[in-house]
Amino acid sequence: MGGMSDAVQLEGVVKRFGDHVAVDGLSFSVPTGLIYGFLGPNGAGKTTTLRMLIGIFYPDAGRITVLGQANPAAIKARIGYLPEDRGLYDKMKLGELVSYYGELKGMPAGKARMRAKQLLEQFGLGEWWDAKCQALSKGMAQKAQILATILHEPELVILDEPFAGLDPVNRDVMRDVILDLKRQGKTVVFSTHVMEQAEQVCDNVLLINRGQKVLDGSLSEIRSSGGRAIRLDYDGDGACLPHLPGVSRVNDAGKQAELFLQPEADSQVVLAGIVEAGVHVRRFDLRELSLHEIFIRAVGGGDE
Amino acid sequence: MNKGLLVARHEYIETVRTKAFWLGLLAFPIIIALGIAVPVLLEKTKEPRIYAVIDHSGFLAGQIEERIYRRDLHTILAVTSEQKHESGSTFERLPQILRQFTNTYLSLDEADRSGFVDATAEIANGGEGRNLEGEVAEFVAQGDRKRLWAWWQAASVKELDQLDLELARHSFRRVEANGETETPVADLNRRVSAGELFAYFVIGPDPVAGSAACKYVSNNLTDRDLLDWYGRLATDVIRAQRIEQEGVDPEVARWVHESLIFEDRKVGARGADQEVATQDKARQWAPMVFTYLLWIAIFTSAQMLLTSTIEEKSARIIEVLLSSVSSFELMAGKIAGMAAAGLTVVASWVCFIVLAVIIVPLATGNPGALGMLRDIAAEPLYLFSFILYFLMGYLFYAAILVGIGSVCNSIKDAQSLMMPVIIPMMVALFALVPISRDPNGTLAKIMSFIPPFTPFVMMNRAAGPPAIWEYMTTTLLMAIAIYGAVWAAAQIFRIGVLMTGKPPTVRQMARWLSMDRAGTTPRSQEK
Repeated sequence: MGGMSDAVQLEGVVKRFGDHVAVDGLSFSVPTGLIYGFLGPNGAGKTTTLRMLIGIFYPDAGRITVLGQANPAAIKARIGYLPEDRGLYDKMKLGELVSYYGELKGMPAGKARMRAKQLLEQFGLGEWWDAKCQALSKGMAQKAQILATILHEPELVILDEPFAGLDPVNRDVMRDVILDLKRQGKTVVFSTHVMEQAEQVCDNVLLINRGQKVLDGSLSEIRSSGGRAIRLDYDGDGACLPHLPGVSRVNDAGKQAELFLQPEADSQVVLAGIVEAGVHVRRFDLRELSLHEIFIRAVGGGDE
Repeated sequence: MNKGLLVARHEYIETVRTKAFWLGLLAFPIIIALGIAVPVLLEKTKEPRIYAVIDHSGFLAGQIEERIYRRDLHTILAVTSEQKHESGSTFERLPQILRQFTNTYLSLDEADRSGFVDATAEIANGGEGRNLEGEVAEFVAQGDRKRLWAWWQAASVKELDQLDLELARHSFRRVEANGETETPVADLNRRVSAGELFAYFVIGPDPVAGSAACKYVSNNLTDRDLLDWYGRLATDVIRAQRIEQEGVDPEVARWVHESLIFEDRKVGARGADQEVATQDKARQWAPMVFTYLLWIAIFTSAQMLLTSTIEEKSARIIEVLLSSVSSFELMAGKIAGMAAAGLTVVASWVCFIVLAVIIVPLATGNPGALGMLRDIAAEPLYLFSFILYFLMGYLFYAAILVGIGSVCNSIKDAQSLMMPVIIPMMVALFALVPISRDPNGTLAKIMSFIPPFTPFVMMNRAAGPPAIWEYMTTTLLMAIAIYGAVWAAAQIFRIGVLMTGKPPTVRQMARWLSMDRAGTTPRSQEK
């Protein structure tokens, strides 16, 4: 599985903490130059897997290859990593801190400084160069953390829950950074438990639950394989919706519902049925399944 | 640059920027300076103790007063003779009566001087004069004696300060006992309660016979200086009276009273006994001082490392760092960086001693109290031991504390885990004095071989000094202990540093030690 062009390969990776199996026989590969989403609920094993990619943890069994190397610790300088738990030294000056992170990644001091200056300028933090980190707003600190991760121009960027806790402005900064990295031919692996974010930017996704792979592949493949659904905005009594012909299941929120169709169902017939039942339709949108639904189904199916 | 060195440099710079570091650096010179200045200041600002005397004997208080007067006269003469000797101008500022008194005194033969002062004092207090001749008789004439006595009684502390004279009244000042009321005791009790009086004495009707009805009344039970001073004077007067009453020859009495004095000597390098000099005493005590400084330096450095580790954890920086450096590089870098900061402090203390020894005599032309420091600075064993044992002790305790810090999310978490470290540190502190008294005793020897105590005990024993084989064996044991501590700390650090939530128990941590790689190091390459 995978070829030379894969930035990351995992084969049968197992990681235990005492009696708890955090990652259970996980295999997947991340093609170079893509944005790879790592999706799953909290506690699915995402962080543990990412930590193994950067060499903070090592697997108990299985093989990991990162950028062609069996031991990721040897190539930490080629990887950028933004952990979910991230912070800055309160007492350090922003410029020194970002340069220090660059030096730790093996950049010469002068170059780290120059690049830090340039990045902070570019993202509007230039005048904060000499400010102590504790003086930064939360949003500025978040931005600084993102910049510190990509300072040394890594080939592979691993982001653990990069959008968690970000304000809307920084969420856009984060997204732009990710897209920009892709444009530069870098590989980005990021984890999230919010499916909608993954749907926006990912090329490929891996769905993981309880340490095991549920699904992986390109986003479009996965979505098209999952069947169809209707997104309905309505007023009136939605009690009739589950009984319409061709509808297998309904996810009804009261004013808005997702109707999952049987493979052979005709959406025209469903629409007619809704109108007939006296429900006032404000919006009717036929589309592929959401990642969320695909995930729920896959996990539910796996449990049976 | 090596990643561990980068971490070390960062740790060093950040530590040097803290206030705590500079406090530690300056603490030593400040403490030394205060140690010299404070007692002097305290002595200068000390209010004289005010006391009163109720004398039922009718003579004792007066005779004690005379003795105080006589002592003061000797004090005055010591100063004024010197002034007369040095230059005219200071001497000329003295009151005329003092100049006259001093001139007469200096004009006498050495043998007559003491008698002259005694006579001056006795007569002034209304006693019989002795038979003195010539110039002496002139001064001892009633008028001059009375003028001198009047001057002594009236001279204020301020006036005396201007004349550079320090008399008994600087420490103890007597006031009249009889108030307006009919019961002086009740009046004095009230004044003691009110704090106007420090104390009062009651002298019984017949003090020559015994101490019956003699009392010292004060509410200050700690400062016994007044009681000791006045008691000694009273005893002197009473003894003299008893000797006279029993018809004992005063010379015989003095001889009977004389103490036997043992001369203070030590066995020198040549095996013969020789005189004990001040620097010998300094040399004996210096190791204890160094040990105490060592204790402070080690404990504060290790503690700062603990704090910085916990800060990195609670500020969630650790994982960012681990994406660039290995956990061992991080730990080793932190320990090394803080070691450099600690060494900077310790070296600055050593430099301070050496500089003070060089500069102060140059500036003042007088080594004074620093003579002691100079002897210590000239003892390379002390300074060398100090630096070496700082490094060893620091490495041992720093490794343990960095391990503890790695599993804690707050200083509070660390407190209970610190217990096993605090106890040996406290034991080392308590053993300070016993070991410095007996540097080659059994306790000292045994403790030298227990690594947590080795640096403190061996430093403290430097005055001994211990045998070469002891130095070698204890250093070897210490090196093994340091290796073990660093190894254990590394095991705990690599797991603990990524832990959040409740810190593990000591037993859990002990289990981590037996975990072969704990999943944070690569397995041997499998094919």
